[in-house]
Amino acid sequence: MSIRRSERQAATGFLLPFVFLYLFVFVLPIGYAAYQSFLKTERSGLGLGASGAARTVFAGLDNYRLALAKPEFIDGMVRVFGFALVEVPLMIGTATLLALLLDAASARWVPLFRSSFFLPYGVPGVIASILWGFLYVPNVSPIVEVLGHVGLNLDPLGSSTATFWSLANIVTWEFAGYNMLILVAQLKAIDNELYEAARIDGANAWHEIRHIKLPLIRPAIVLTTIFTIIGTLQLFAEPFVLKGKSTAIDSSYTPNLAAYTQAFTNNNQHLAAAQAVILALATSLLSFGFLYLVGRKANR
Amino acid sequence: MMRRRYRRGGTALAAMVLALGLTACGGSDNGDDNSSAKKPGEKIELTFWSWVPGVDKAVALWNSQNPDVQVKLADKTVGSQGGYAKMHAAVKADKAPDLVQMEYQNIPEFLLDDELVDLGEYGADDVADKFVDWQWKQVSYGEGVYAIPQASGPMGLFYRKDLFEKWGIQPPTTWPEFKEAAKVVREHDAYICTFPPGNSAWFTALAWQNGANWFGIDGDTWTVDIDSPETLQVAQFWDEMVKEDLIKTVGDFSEEWNKDLNTGKIVSWPTAQWGDGVLAAAAPKTEGKWAAAPIPQWDPSNFMSANWGGSSTAVLKGTDHAEEAMEFATWLNSDPESIDLLIAGAYGWPAAKDALEGSALDRPYPFFGGQEINDIFVEADTAIDVNWGWIPTVSETYAHLNDGFQKAVDGEGSFVETVKEAQQQTVEDLEARDLNAQG
Repeated sequence: MSIRRSERQAATGFLLPFVFLYLFVFVLPIGYAAYQSFLKTERSGLGLGASGAARTVFAGLDNYRLALAKPEFIDGMVRVFGFALVEVPLMIGTATLLALLLDAASARWVPLFRSSFFLPYGVPGVIASILWGFLYVPNVSPIVEVLGHVGLNLDPLGSSTATFWSLANIVTWEFAGYNMLILVAQLKAIDNELYEAARIDGANAWHEIRHIKLPLIRPAIVLTTIFTIIGTLQLFAEPFVLKGKSTAIDSSYTPNLAAYTQAFTNNNQHLAAAQAVILALATSLLSFGFLYLVGRKANR
Repeated sequence: MMRRRYRRGGTALAAMVLALGLTACGGSDNGDDNSSAKKPGEKIELTFWSWVPGVDKAVALWNSQNPDVQVKLADKTVGSQGGYAKMHAAVKADKAPDLVQMEYQNIPEFLLDDELVDLGEYGADDVADKFVDWQWKQVSYGEGVYAIPQASGPMGLFYRKDLFEKWGIQPPTTWPEFKEAAKVVREHDAYICTFPPGNSAWFTALAWQNGANWFGIDGDTWTVDIDSPETLQVAQFWDEMVKEDLIKTVGDFSEEWNKDLNTGKIVSWPTAQWGDGVLAAAAPKTEGKWAAAPIPQWDPSNFMSANWGGSSTAVLKGTDHAEEAMEFATWLNSDPESIDLLIAGAYGWPAAKDALEGSALDRPYPFFGGQEINDIFVEADTAIDVNWGWIPTVSETYAHLNDGFQKAVDGEGSFVETVKEAQQQTVEDLEARDLNAQG
């Protein structure tokens, strides 16, 4: 009885810091944003000074209606869905490939390669975008210049399609190593006896990957896929930094950028809050939808 | 709350009455009362947010001369890069600085949430004649005066004199001549200038030059006239320049633009007076090879310039020392010593009257081959349409124009279509803020 109580106290003690932070830096701001999204500012006439004094009133779903009526917001939404469609296979494919290479029996200098693959994750997104920005702009970029000399004329930010892939490249560069590390950890946890048994049965390296490694790291693949879906839908820093360098990126290129513009350029926090809530709902729908699909398949 | 409206003179007395009144209501201070005057001998500190380079030196000079009213320069975030958002938030949180840097086009946006002190109540009208008329108008809305004008950007044309001479091009005096010059420049594998698709403030200034008057007030309604024939003429001109591959479409102030200026691939820039410092920093290798000329004209018989950029010093609601704040703002923007310090930081063209003569602007510029370039801008400053005003949703209008211009450069639509769409969108923006608007 007394042991149980002390265990419970210990558990509470360990949980408390988490719960505290979770409530104050996560739940509370989200609740506040949701609350803000149901308000609007009412004015009259020119809206200047005391005669047109602004009042904040309950708006019901007005902000949501307004947000969804903006074609550029919907365009941004469609764009990030398309981005996720491209980025998820690209990211997971790259991360899995790197992880399997590092895990291969014949791999050399594993710690060196593992750290160098992971290194880009240590570069903050904004810095990575500035860095890649310099590598993308013709006239400034050494890469573009060298390729130009061999007859390959590249303009990575020159059109909307090129910009799309250039962004995908930055995001993959940044996060593939991180996702790889999660996969590597799970690969390391596979029991060696399984490989021994497989080898006795005559399995080669390819068979091991196909029938042992991939099925057993499935949970890690699902996890990294969820990370990637969330990350791509919330795309912000990369297009924000490259905005000045590419004509393809406008002020509502992604939903997060649109919300930023509403809040910090247009001073319309209520609409920005509604846009953020819509994005959050779409993201959770997609993430849970994916989990549900995966779960159904596994149970079959 | 009681409204105070006293204009000339008697300020101190009125402030005293007010202070008494405040005590009588139990000292309630809810941000609407911001005039409790400084008691004699009391030391006060004013907080000032400004990103203008060189302003720190002017502030230091003021502080050395005014031991009782010390100004503390705090935040330096550029307004359009989050500074204004911070100001809005600070006023809401009752933690506003006393004074802020504010561009002319952002004043209505702040009036919308009643965040600026009407300086008319503190005798601003008495200092009106220190400043150029059109710039004073930029800070006046209705009966009120909401900031002290600081600087503007009368426009001219900077061009590579050496290359123009080598290629036999006269500096263009009209826009059609500018186009002809552009064709010659193209023969030498260079471009005459860029149309910056992400910086519609530049386009706005060129429309202003052609007599467009986008925004106005009619009774209790904001009027929007962006798609006027004057604007469409300017848009069509640049549409053709792009279509005929006579100009570049890289962003101004971008690395690529810097490099093109530095290597002679872009050979002119229709810009504001403050562009001189920008150019010198962007293209250091071309020192001495540039010259300034008046901006090309649409109607040579009626010389018009335009203004690109303009800034003021505003006092935010919530200050306890509006009167001292206004005194400082007036000094900062009209005292010759202060102006010289601000000029050294390249803050723009002084809003104070007769500021050129004897100032740091009145000199030959080595970057421009020893030309006294500001003679051009003195002329320009007197040829600016004084009736241009702004609306509370200008940033949104700029965003619509930027987005449309970028698409047009990418081959989707045109500048003309963008202007027409921006008209409609701007009316909707105003209505979305629950304001009366008419297009």
